[in-house]
Amino acid sequence: MYKKVLFSLGIILGLLLSSCGGATTEPAATEAPIITEEAAEPVTITVWDYYGEATPVKPLIEPFQALHPNITINYESIDWDTTLEKLNVVLTGGEPPDVVTVDMTWIPKFAALGAFADLLPLSDGKLNGIPWGEAYTAGGLKAITYNDQIISALYDFDVYALYYRNDLFEQKGIQVPTNWDELMTAAKALEEGELYKYEFDADTFHGSQWIYENGGTLLSTDNTKVVFNSPEAVEAITFNDSLLVNSVAINWTEDEGERIQGVKDGRIAMFSDGPYYMGIMKSAAPEMAGQWRVALHPYNKQPGSYLGGTGLAIPVGSDQQEAAWLFIQYAMELENQVNVYKLAGAAPALKEALSSPEVNVEDPYFGGQKAFSIFLQSMETAIPFPYVRQWSDIDDAFTNAMQQIALAELSVQEALDQAAATAQEALDQ
Amino acid sequence: MTVIQHSRKLTYSIQKYGISYLFISVPLLSLIVFLFIPMIVSLWWSLNDYSGLTAAKFVGLNNYIKLLTDDKIFAKSLLNTTLFVLLGMSIGPTLGLLTAMMLNQKVRFSSLFRTAYYLPVMTSLVVVSTIWLMLYNRNGLFNVVLQEFGLPKVGWLSNPDIALISIVFASVWQGFGFETVVFLAALQSIPRELYEAAMMDGAGAWAQFRYITLPALRPVILFVYIIGIIGSYQVFDQIFVMSSGGPVYSTSTIVYYLFDKFMDLRLGYASAIAYILFAILVIFSYLQMRISRERA
Repeated sequence: MYKKVLFSLGIILGLLLSSCGGATTEPAATEAPIITEEAAEPVTITVWDYYGEATPVKPLIEPFQALHPNITINYESIDWDTTLEKLNVVLTGGEPPDVVTVDMTWIPKFAALGAFADLLPLSDGKLNGIPWGEAYTAGGLKAITYNDQIISALYDFDVYALYYRNDLFEQKGIQVPTNWDELMTAAKALEEGELYKYEFDADTFHGSQWIYENGGTLLSTDNTKVVFNSPEAVEAITFNDSLLVNSVAINWTEDEGERIQGVKDGRIAMFSDGPYYMGIMKSAAPEMAGQWRVALHPYNKQPGSYLGGTGLAIPVGSDQQEAAWLFIQYAMELENQVNVYKLAGAAPALKEALSSPEVNVEDPYFGGQKAFSIFLQSMETAIPFPYVRQWSDIDDAFTNAMQQIALAELSVQEALDQAAATAQEALDQ
Repeated sequence: MTVIQHSRKLTYSIQKYGISYLFISVPLLSLIVFLFIPMIVSLWWSLNDYSGLTAAKFVGLNNYIKLLTDDKIFAKSLLNTTLFVLLGMSIGPTLGLLTAMMLNQKVRFSSLFRTAYYLPVMTSLVVVSTIWLMLYNRNGLFNVVLQEFGLPKVGWLSNPDIALISIVFASVWQGFGFETVVFLAALQSIPRELYEAAMMDGAGAWAQFRYITLPALRPVILFVYIIGIIGSYQVFDQIFVMSSGGPVYSTSTIVYYLFDKFMDLRLGYASAIAYILFAILVIFSYLQMRISRERA
């Protein structure tokens, strides 16, 4: 019996450890030739796409293959969570795809570990003939640059703006807030018991936004010092928390369910999120058409938002980097960028696509508002998360502090000080 | 014994048992490839700072030292897991035994009850967790019932003081059917004559339970606890679906923390966590075996 128990323990541990298993091969060299002409030999490239049903990537395959008969695309649709899990596995010991959709929040870790090929030599410094620096806004370019390398092509972008119930604002004669004082006034005038509140999110996406809006940052400019407990940051999070303290915000936790439920049942009347959420609202709450608007999120000193989105990257282990780059470049053509909006409802990342009339249409769901222009305005000052290997430790520490603050377990200063100490310790290692 | 004798014995052994060796070679090979080699590789990784993407850097026992002395989240995860095991193993087997004893009576529709109690065991943990996530919702069934009685809503998963307990209840509900079936099978194998003899000697229900049922069930109880503790220490699905380890790490468990580190590509650190968990399970199993032997 004793041996049997040990044996079964061994099996269980093996199963546990096998999740960490894989070959210990080192990644291939990152150098790649400049693409000047079509590949002579037929090649197959694998593309992983996490967009789901409304993907703008899949429709590219047929016309791309017609343009490049020597390149066959092996397309795989994988959901967001699974893409991250599979990417971890294949990057460390399997056969990676040649092109993969990556969430920009994954980039700090992967970039620091050199997981993706540098697109600069592959592209000869240009994206469809336009220098990278001119193709994107400054923030967009910063989001895809690491150690002077371009590690992905930003395909759609995500920055935060304020979603608000315009019908209630009009009904109650509330002005759309542009600064924090006005936000507090509006939130107080809006809420009715458990209804019509501002959504409080105890996470780094939202917490960082308040800090940026007060002139603070998460890390110092050289990424060596944690500064999210600076006076500006403490003041910002204190204001954020005061929305909860004054009962004009709702702490949106796991047991509140999906946000869309709160949007539909009236618990939420204001929240901060990216352009992708417009598509979710349209499909999940069509009956609310005309009730919502988007505005630049109110700020204290300057507008601010995290900057994320989806990038198209080539894993460094791909042996078809040239063909992969051709596909990425095709996906980044103006017409195909516009389709990111048309098909996925997301915000295309190229400046030219963003300013195109097809994207800047009046949106009947948002009362005829040109909502993308608001997000574009937000993008001008948005900041990507710092590209440091220890990002997840910093993110965890900050999120934990935000949860402690929301639960009133610690004061803002105490929670941020403790989290900063933890994050600094991780950063120093 | 000479070399020739050894050789003859080996030849005889192969002739007699050759086909058996052939049969066991397949599972043995798969064990070596998929279990023992990954275990050894992981042991090596646990002694390295290794991401899988960059060259491994040997750090000796640093990962273990950091985990056991300096990592507050790991300490919290260890404590949470132990609480999960203690709570789960206090309620689950007891509930399973009570249910089994109830079903062991000649009640109508007993097979229907047996099936009903076992159904959650056959249901995917992810599905069960999703259902309980809905029940624990701020506007879910439990809070609706509370409000019907004029009581305030409870943050079943957002209150760090009760989030882990909420997950324990969901897990017990999912798992106690297994214990029920195992106990029921054991109860039905106890000879009726023992109870009849005890009754003739004037033993009441409690005495029968104390002196017949419990001793007869001892090996099964041990089995249930060993399997239960090993399983409970590896709790992951419920945490992943229902709480992601939060709020404030109040539901972070060892395997969830291991997963978190794996997702952050800290393969060396994650491997060290796996080996610490292995050591814990070995110690628990050893202690239980000792206790069982001493009582036997």
